[in-house]
Amino acid sequence: MSEPLLRLDAIDVFYGDIQVLYGLSLEVREGEIVTLLGSNGAGKTTTLRAISGIRPPRAGDIHFRGKSLVGLPAAARAELGIALVPEGRDLWGQLTVRENLDLGAYHPRVRANAARNLERVFTMFPRLSERSGQLAGSLSGGEQQMCAIGRALMTEPTLLMLDEPSLGLAPILVDQVMRTVSDLHAEGITVLLVEQNLRKALEVAERGTVIETGRVRLEGTSAELSANPEIRTAYLGI
Amino acid sequence: MDRFVDLVVSAVLLAGLYATMAYGLGLIYGVLRVVNLAHGGVIMVGAYMGWILHGWLGLDPYLAIPLVVGATFLLGVVTYRVLVRHLPRGAAGGPASLLLLFGVWLVLRNAAYLLFSGNDQTIRTAYSTRAIPLLGSYVSVNRLAVLAIAVVTPVALHLLLKRTYLGRAIRAVAQNADSCTLVGIDVERIYTITFGLGTALAGLAGLLSATIFSFNPGFGSGELLKSFVVVVLGGLGSVFGTGIAALVLAVVEVFAILVLPSYLTAAVGFVMLVLVLVFRPGGLFGQRVLG
Repeated sequence: MSEPLLRLDAIDVFYGDIQVLYGLSLEVREGEIVTLLGSNGAGKTTTLRAISGIRPPRAGDIHFRGKSLVGLPAAARAELGIALVPEGRDLWGQLTVRENLDLGAYHPRVRANAARNLERVFTMFPRLSERSGQLAGSLSGGEQQMCAIGRALMTEPTLLMLDEPSLGLAPILVDQVMRTVSDLHAEGITVLLVEQNLRKALEVAERGTVIETGRVRLEGTSAELSANPEIRTAYLGI
Repeated sequence: MDRFVDLVVSAVLLAGLYATMAYGLGLIYGVLRVVNLAHGGVIMVGAYMGWILHGWLGLDPYLAIPLVVGATFLLGVVTYRVLVRHLPRGAAGGPASLLLLFGVWLVLRNAAYLLFSGNDQTIRTAYSTRAIPLLGSYVSVNRLAVLAIAVVTPVALHLLLKRTYLGRAIRAVAQNADSCTLVGIDVERIYTITFGLGTALAGLAGLLSATIFSFNPGFGSGELLKSFVVVVLGGLGSVFGTGIAALVLAVVEVFAILVLPSYLTAAVGFVMLVLVLVFRPGGLFGQRVLG
């Protein structure tokens, strides 16, 4: 077996004195689309924050392309090709859409490709091109989600992590966002998707990991998880 | 009528200086949420740097601008890396950073007393007393030069903040630092550069002031307070909002001379500060941060 793109080895993550993740391990292979599932407070967001470096683990190790990320600041991880579309989008509301996207190309590695990548983002989300001069804070929820995904794409990610991209969106927009995620995966980007909407997540993902109170509870292919009686009663309400 | 024109002209000239003083304070507060009480001290340092370069090396104060700006930028970088970086920020860090930066000011001031004594100094150049006729009154050539710099500075600052990756990153950090790290922006580096820039603007303001006013190591306290008034009045909305606020302060101050006894004119700025805080706490132009 070759080295996975991303490997979490028994990470412990704390917020102050409160432990949120307990020895969590996870693997994502290059080109995969994997979903991280679990109820509120299970530690999904924290896992993504640990990988992106905003909340580094206190114990355990994270490897990306075979190299340990321990001690590497978040900004340097972005440079390596790890992108996070955070929960709630976290756009710069008082910057324009265009400025938000441009800043995605802040890093020297991708700055030279900024024009090409912007074109690509605008082709994918024509809405953003229409609104490029508008303040990001004035966009609708769906448009903000597009902008946040667009900003992440400007960094030319190898691994794209999305935290609850469907949160607060109308059903039609949820479908659109999921289709976008699927398309990006088809283009060769490895995706780690956190979703509350388990049904949608299992539709687009190949594999899933269920976490519960900071520990891995179940792992399997999407088909296995969809068929799992425990999941069906606990999360799908069937 | 002549007197009216005189007052308008001197208000405009004064406004340029006030705005230059205020940009640095506003920039540092807007991005780091730290009130830089050392600002007044750096204004004084800028004045003495100009004085040394002029008196000892015969360098014209306007040619000294790059040197003074560069040196005070470095002073800001060092202050940030060595001291400010370790402090809590925002509401939680208020008292700690206020005390620390006030301490920095005291150190700068007392170092200046030690080195230069408490005597008043001036920078006198060949054009210090020259004036040209303008709009029916005579205007000091030097004050016009100060105004020119004071107009160029915000334009340059505005272009930096709007057009460059660095400037956009500075504005983005002011709004949400966490998402900056997600696109590879080294937030600490941006804080360092911003603190350096804000300090350099204070140094520039000090140098320009020194070509007009006499100064001693205590110089800068009145300037700091005026910078406060301008920042609060202008909000943190934009570079140009600060410029307009500076003009408002300067006009009110200058025209107050007509109706108030001279010992009260210094209080005008504070009355405005209180009025703005009570009636428009977001400043005259609203709450936007470096938009």
